[in-house]
Amino acid sequence: MRSSHALRQPGLNRPAIILGCFVLLVVCLFPFLWMGLSSIKMLNELYTIPPRWWPDHPTLANYHKVLFESRIPRYFLNSIIISVGSTGLALILAVFAANGFARFRFRGQSFWQACILIGQLLPTAAIIVPLFITLRVLGLVNTYWGLILVYMIITLPLSVWMLTSYFKAIPIELEEAAIIDGASRLGILFRITLPLSMPGIVAVLVYAFITTWNEFIFALCFATDSRVKTLPIGLAEFSTEFNTDWGAVMAASMVMTIPIALLFLVFQKHFVGGLTAGATKG
Amino acid sequence: MRSNTGLVFALPALIVLFMLIAYPVFYTGWLSVTNDQGQYMGLQNFSAVLRPRVTTQALWNTLWWVAGSIFFQVLLGIAAAILLNQNFRGRALVRSIALIPWVIPGIVAATTWAWMFHTEFGIINYMLTSTGAIDEPVGWLTRSNTVMPAMIAINVWKLFPFVAIMVLAGLQSIPQELYEAARMDGATYWEEVRHVMLPQIRPVIAAVTLLLVIWALNAITIIYAITKGGPANRTVITPIQIFRLAFESVEFNQAAALSVMFFGVVMLIVLAYIRAFASQPGGNQ
Amino acid sequence: MKSLKLAGFLALSVLSSVTTTTIARAGDVVWWAPNWGEERARTLAQKFMAANPGTNIKVEVTVANGLPERVLTALRSGATPDIIEVQHGWVNGYAQSDLIVPLDDTIQDKQDYVKAAIDYISWNGKLWAIPYRVETHGVIYNKDHFREAGLDPEKPPKTWDELIAAAKTLTKNGRSGFGITGGGEVGNTIFRSLPFIWMNGGDIISPDMKKAVLNSPEAVKAVEFYTNFYKQGLAPKSTLENDGLALRRLFIAGTVSAYQSGQFDLPAIQKENPNIKLGAMMIPAPAGKQTAAVLGGWSYIIPKSAKNPTDAKKFLQFLNTTENQGYYTDTFPARISATKLPRFDDPMLKPFAEMLPYGRPVPVHKNWVKIVQAYFDGIQRILLGDQSVQTSMDEANEEIQALLN
Repeated sequence: MRSSHALRQPGLNRPAIILGCFVLLVVCLFPFLWMGLSSIKMLNELYTIPPRWWPDHPTLANYHKVLFESRIPRYFLNSIIISVGSTGLALILAVFAANGFARFRFRGQSFWQACILIGQLLPTAAIIVPLFITLRVLGLVNTYWGLILVYMIITLPLSVWMLTSYFKAIPIELEEAAIIDGASRLGILFRITLPLSMPGIVAVLVYAFITTWNEFIFALCFATDSRVKTLPIGLAEFSTEFNTDWGAVMAASMVMTIPIALLFLVFQKHFVGGLTAGATKG
Repeated sequence: MRSNTGLVFALPALIVLFMLIAYPVFYTGWLSVTNDQGQYMGLQNFSAVLRPRVTTQALWNTLWWVAGSIFFQVLLGIAAAILLNQNFRGRALVRSIALIPWVIPGIVAATTWAWMFHTEFGIINYMLTSTGAIDEPVGWLTRSNTVMPAMIAINVWKLFPFVAIMVLAGLQSIPQELYEAARMDGATYWEEVRHVMLPQIRPVIAAVTLLLVIWALNAITIIYAITKGGPANRTVITPIQIFRLAFESVEFNQAAALSVMFFGVVMLIVLAYIRAFASQPGGNQ
Repeated sequence: MKSLKLAGFLALSVLSSVTTTTIARAGDVVWWAPNWGEERARTLAQKFMAANPGTNIKVEVTVANGLPERVLTALRSGATPDIIEVQHGWVNGYAQSDLIVPLDDTIQDKQDYVKAAIDYISWNGKLWAIPYRVETHGVIYNKDHFREAGLDPEKPPKTWDELIAAAKTLTKNGRSGFGITGGGEVGNTIFRSLPFIWMNGGDIISPDMKKAVLNSPEAVKAVEFYTNFYKQGLAPKSTLENDGLALRRLFIAGTVSAYQSGQFDLPAIQKENPNIKLGAMMIPAPAGKQTAAVLGGWSYIIPKSAKNPTDAKKFLQFLNTTENQGYYTDTFPARISATKLPRFDDPMLKPFAEMLPYGRPVPVHKNWVKIVQAYFDGIQRILLGDQSVQTSMDEANEEIQALLN
């Protein structure tokens, strides 16, 4: 056994990190770069043979059209409201449900866990008609709440599923110690489990937000009024019978994508592990 | 502890989902055994949908699609997560950029890739031929042996950030002592990966893999937007067939029958997973 | 265009029908108009409302993607607007399912309409829609390419043999002489290949719709003619991934010299590449035979559950005067008198106008979508090189016969 003062520096060595990051960045950004370049091209420079990277006449006209001449800004607002709403609601329900599945044993547990996933297993084509009828009966057609509720089907199952596994990764000893000290189940949930699983919570938040942000089918069918329509529908509105305004679609896509990446950048400080040395001692 | 407290915690979510899903489940089941006049037809819809050649072809394609996608999504996702778990300057920025493929709207990603893969307009062929790597442009989407791999590649690109973020969250929760203990034993970095990181994130990987299976089985955006299942049904997967039946041929009953069969198969996979990976409550050994 | 067609958004905007009809009041006429004609639709609505103060026309804009499914669902759910614009081919299905009202009492000057369009929307002795727009394909070509190849741009090919010869001469220096579609929307390839089958005396199914005749010698020869453009290198290498829109882009980029399309492509080409000297010709036919084309276009229908059919019918009569039809249509009007309007005097449109009398409707079998899918798969198999033309058509024929029983 080596002596303890020869402890190695943790982690990969520098060149490996740089190489890895380079590959990762190229892979992720290459199509995005193509999209970005397309968004500043005029129509006649978009489809050339051979393809060109940089346009001869770069233009901001596409962005002008998207931001000032289309309904995209309104759809942006709608998307934010609906995504935040459904993400928040799903998170609350999922935290409780995951706690139940991860920390307890009860009859039919496997069965109920499987049931949670059912919504994800049915093809959209199969469930959209009856879902529509449900919404109509509840009078929630063309409303924010209608979409938020329907999005539970796609956000809740995964959130519960993932959170369950994150909760399970927290050492049980911590909770047992708290119980000995007299804490209630709810207290444990809020004071131990949640803070320690912060990265998992953030991951689930990110997932739910992104999924509802880009969701198209349900939004198309259940929100036909511009007051409630979302961004993906806005994208589809740039197409007419025989033409698609690709420059505008690319510009709109940039508008849809970049804010989310920036948001994640801002949330980074919460994406840190809560288990520091000493937490399990004593 | 055996009580019903756990069930109480899980109840709100279960109720919400039940309210939304119950009717569609019964509706689909009912449609699958009736015809478009509403008369009971027994299993006729099922046999009608199993008969055409394309159904078996779709099943095989689906198998390739799922296996190929998942293998690479998990592999690249874990590799990216390990990388992003390191401490280096600019880490937050790289993490945010890694998110981008996942955030781009599916339809835009699909059409951008189709554009890049195009035999004549595509930047990929352009780069390969102008640097002399290949002589002739490759028909990525027009040759039967490259079209499905191209679709899988796009699917992998789109979803590996999801795996990376989920696994990264798991990695962030690994207690420092485990690393320190390993280093005291003289472990190299790669041994650390094998003996500390991977075992700790096993539940996360299992959960993520199951979700990827479900998504791969349900997501038709990429394939439908680019090839619509072609050429000559080379890329048609069962969900696309269901979609075609329901909305192109307006055969809601047959689409429902296919959905029911599909659902049954996937449900079995899910139950098997849960049995295999859901052990006692708590996590660490 | 259809690239943005996403799975599922086809389905069920029954929603839109519910919301539109719950907001509409009596005296309102709700009109589902497609987004490419939105401005003109609103102008016409204004004009009508000015002349008829009691009626309020509400224009609701629809998008191309998913439209047939959306309309069908609305009709089936009983929650519909008063007027819907649909393609001719969809009308018979609605009529046979008792979802729309006959419009014999609404149409004026019936003899002024293109006969094929009237036939398209007639069933059981009644008229089920009012066609307002008709169009067919022609062949668009690049006059400069012709000149450079030593061909006379003012004397384009008229027969199949002349077309093949011209294409061969044009195919050089990275250009493709004659582009065809082989991918994307099934309809794009049907519109381009089916006319060749018709010209040669064949068809996909027999006139009585009981027998599949796709593997007859006439049909097989026509399919061979079509697919040979790709197999002999006269069409782009990317044919299997190209739909009509991709072909147009290749033409604009200068790598395709000629291709089939409708007149709607002309403004787009001129906008994206004003340097191309455009030519248009009628679709070449086999020597000694007549040309043919698939008739496309749009009609107005009134659903059975429309809330205000009376005012809707009045409005339809306004929309279909010679002048208004001529104003609203994107291609040609369905009324022959309207084609005399100055807007259609453009010499570029002449070949398309000449093709119109040769336009034929497609058969209205309830499994037509599956039938053409089987046919299209067959074409792709030939283009992939998996099967010979005869074998592929035999296999497709078998599938189609199963769909006719």
